[in-house]
Amino acid sequence: MMRRPSVLIALCASLVFAAVAQAEPLPQRWVSAGGALSEWIAALGGEARLVGVDTTSQHPESLKALPSIGYQRQLSAEGILSLRPDVLVGTEEMGPPPVLAQVRQAGVRVELFSSKAELTAVDENLKHLGTLLGAEQRASTLASDYRQRIQALQAAIGQAKTHQQAPGVLLLVGHGGGKPMIAGQGTAGDWLVQQAGGRNLAEHDGYKNVSVESLAGLDPEVLVVSDRALTGDAAVQAMLKENPGLSASRAARDGRIVVVDPTLLVGGLGPRLPEVLQSLARAFYPQGNVSFKP
Amino acid sequence: MKRLLAPRTLFLSLGLLWLLAIWLSLALGPVSLPFVDTLRAGLRLLGAPIAGQGLEQAELIVGQIRLPRTLLGLLVGAVLALSGVAMQGLFRNPLADPGLVGVASGAALGAALAIVLGSGFGGLPEALAPYLLSLCAFLGGLGVTALVYRLGRHNGRTSVATMLLAGIALTALAGAGVGLFTYLADDATLRTLTFWNLGSLNGASYQRLWPLLLVVCVVALWLPRRAQALNALLLGESEARHLGVEVETLKRELVFCTALGVGAAVAAAGLIGFIGLVVPHLLRMLVGPDHRLLLPASLLAGGTLLLFADLVARLLLAPAELPIGIVTAFIGAPFFLFLLIKGRG
Repeated sequence: MMRRPSVLIALCASLVFAAVAQAEPLPQRWVSAGGALSEWIAALGGEARLVGVDTTSQHPESLKALPSIGYQRQLSAEGILSLRPDVLVGTEEMGPPPVLAQVRQAGVRVELFSSKAELTAVDENLKHLGTLLGAEQRASTLASDYRQRIQALQAAIGQAKTHQQAPGVLLLVGHGGGKPMIAGQGTAGDWLVQQAGGRNLAEHDGYKNVSVESLAGLDPEVLVVSDRALTGDAAVQAMLKENPGLSASRAARDGRIVVVDPTLLVGGLGPRLPEVLQSLARAFYPQGNVSFKP
Repeated sequence: MKRLLAPRTLFLSLGLLWLLAIWLSLALGPVSLPFVDTLRAGLRLLGAPIAGQGLEQAELIVGQIRLPRTLLGLLVGAVLALSGVAMQGLFRNPLADPGLVGVASGAALGAALAIVLGSGFGGLPEALAPYLLSLCAFLGGLGVTALVYRLGRHNGRTSVATMLLAGIALTALAGAGVGLFTYLADDATLRTLTFWNLGSLNGASYQRLWPLLLVVCVVALWLPRRAQALNALLLGESEARHLGVEVETLKRELVFCTALGVGAAVAAAGLIGFIGLVVPHLLRMLVGPDHRLLLPASLLAGGTLLLFADLVARLLLAPAELPIGIVTAFIGAPFFLFLLIKGRG
C-alpha cells in the first residue's frame, strides 16, 4: 500500500517540474560565439536579442555593429558577463573550457550546438535554436525547406552526372592574391566541392600551400576562389596574376572560375549555403539544368 | 653603478605599487562593479563577517574570476623576473633573458606537440587537455634546458659561452620543430597554437595555481640564498671561485631554478616575453647591482608589471581580450629601446 501514494507523489512532482520547466522564461539577451549560429538566429528573427557576437559572426552585415567578444576559442568570462547575457550559444569549438565553466557558474545558460557539416546537424541546431527563441514553427519550416533544397539539388546533380563527368576542381583560399592555400581532404572547402558534385583534385589533408608546379600538373577544370581580402573579379585577377601555373590551366582558359565568400567555410552549415551550392553546381555542370526545382 | 634610490624608499614604493596593482586588478574589469561592492566582496573572501546580500555577482566576479587571475599574474610575473635576474647574473650580461637557455622554446615545442598531436588523436578528453598541455610545455622547457646545460659541460666545468651557443642552436631547432607542427596543424589547431604563443592569464582557476605556487615558492626562497654568490660572480668566475663560491654548483642551481620557474610560468600562462628582461634591467638602474636587493625587488616589480599589462589586455578591447604577450612586448620593446638610446647618449 505504501507504493501507490509514493508513485502518485512522484507523478505529481514530475508534472509540477515539467510545468516549471515549461514556464522558464525564454532567454532575452543572447551572446553568440559562432558565425553560422548567428546567421541562423538572424534568420529566425532573433537578431534583436543578440547583445554580442564573436569575430566569426560576419553575416548579416548588421552584426558587425554589436560588441565583439573576440575569437570563439579565446573567450573572456568577464567580457561576456559584462554584456549581462541570459544565454551564450556556440559550437563545440567554443572555449577555453575554464572560461565556459566560469560563465556557467555566473548563472548564464551555455548552449552548445554542432558545427559538423551534416544536414542532421542543421536540423538539430535549428530545432534547439527554435525552442530557445520561441520560434519552433519557423525553425521547423526553415529546416525542412533547407533539407528539401539540398536534396533537390543533389537529385539534379545526379541527373547531370549522367550526361557529364564530375569535373576536377581545386578550391583556393587566398589573401589578396598571394600564395593561396588549397583545400585538401576533410576540409569544409572539400565538403562544399563534393556537395556541388565536383571532384576535389587535392589529395593532401587540411589547407596547405601547394607548389606551383604540382598545381599546373593537376590541371583543374574549375577553380573555386575564396579570398579573405578581395572579392569578386579582383580576387580572381589577383590570384591568376600571382600564380602563372594556374592561368595556364583549363579552368582559366575556359574562364570557369567561381568566387565564394570565405566566411562560408567557418563554423558549420549556415543559411546561405544552398544558394552557394547551387551556383557552384551550375559552374560545374553548365549544360545540366541544376537548380532546386528539377 | 650608482643607485638612484635608497633601498628603503625602493621597497616602500615597490610595495605600494604592488598593492595598488592587486587592488586595481581586483577592482577593474569589463564588468563594472561599484567600489563598495568590490571592497565588501574582497573582505568577505578574506573571511570578514559581512552580510552577503546583493553581493553574489560581485563575489563571483571578484572571487572566481579576478582573484585567481590576479594571483596567477603575481606568480608568473614574479618568477619570470626572478629568472631574468638569475640569467643576467649567470651570463654576467644585462641583456640576458630566460629564453637564452632554451626554456621558452622548449616549452613552445612541448605545447605544440600537445596541441597538434592532441587534435590528431581526435581531441583529448576535455578534462585532461589543459593539464596535458601544461605538462608537455613544462617538460619541454625542462628537457631543452637540461640539454643546453649538458652541452655546456666539459671536463666537469660548465662553459657559459658554450651554453649560450648551444641555447641558440637548440632554440633554432625547437623553432623548426614548432614550425613543422604548425605546418601539420589544421586551422583550428593553428589558432590555438598562435594564441598560446602570445600568452594569456585568461581562464585562471585555483586548481591550476597550486603547482605554480609551489614552484614559485621554491625559486623565490632559493635564489635569495645565493644572492651573495651571485654578487661574487659579477666579478668573474675565477674571482668568485677565489672568494670561496662553488661556481659550478651555483651555475647548476641558476639554470635549474630558471628552467623550473619559467617552465611552470609558461605552462600556466603561455609565452610572455620581456618581463624577464626589462624588470631586472630597470631595477638595476634604480638600486644598483646588489642581488640582495635586486632579487626581492624583482619579485615585487615583476608581478606588478604583469598585472598592469593584464589590465590593459582585458580592458582595451572589452568585451574581447588581447593576448597579454602582445601588451608586454608593446610596453617592453620600446622601453628597452629607450634604455639603449639613453645609455648611448
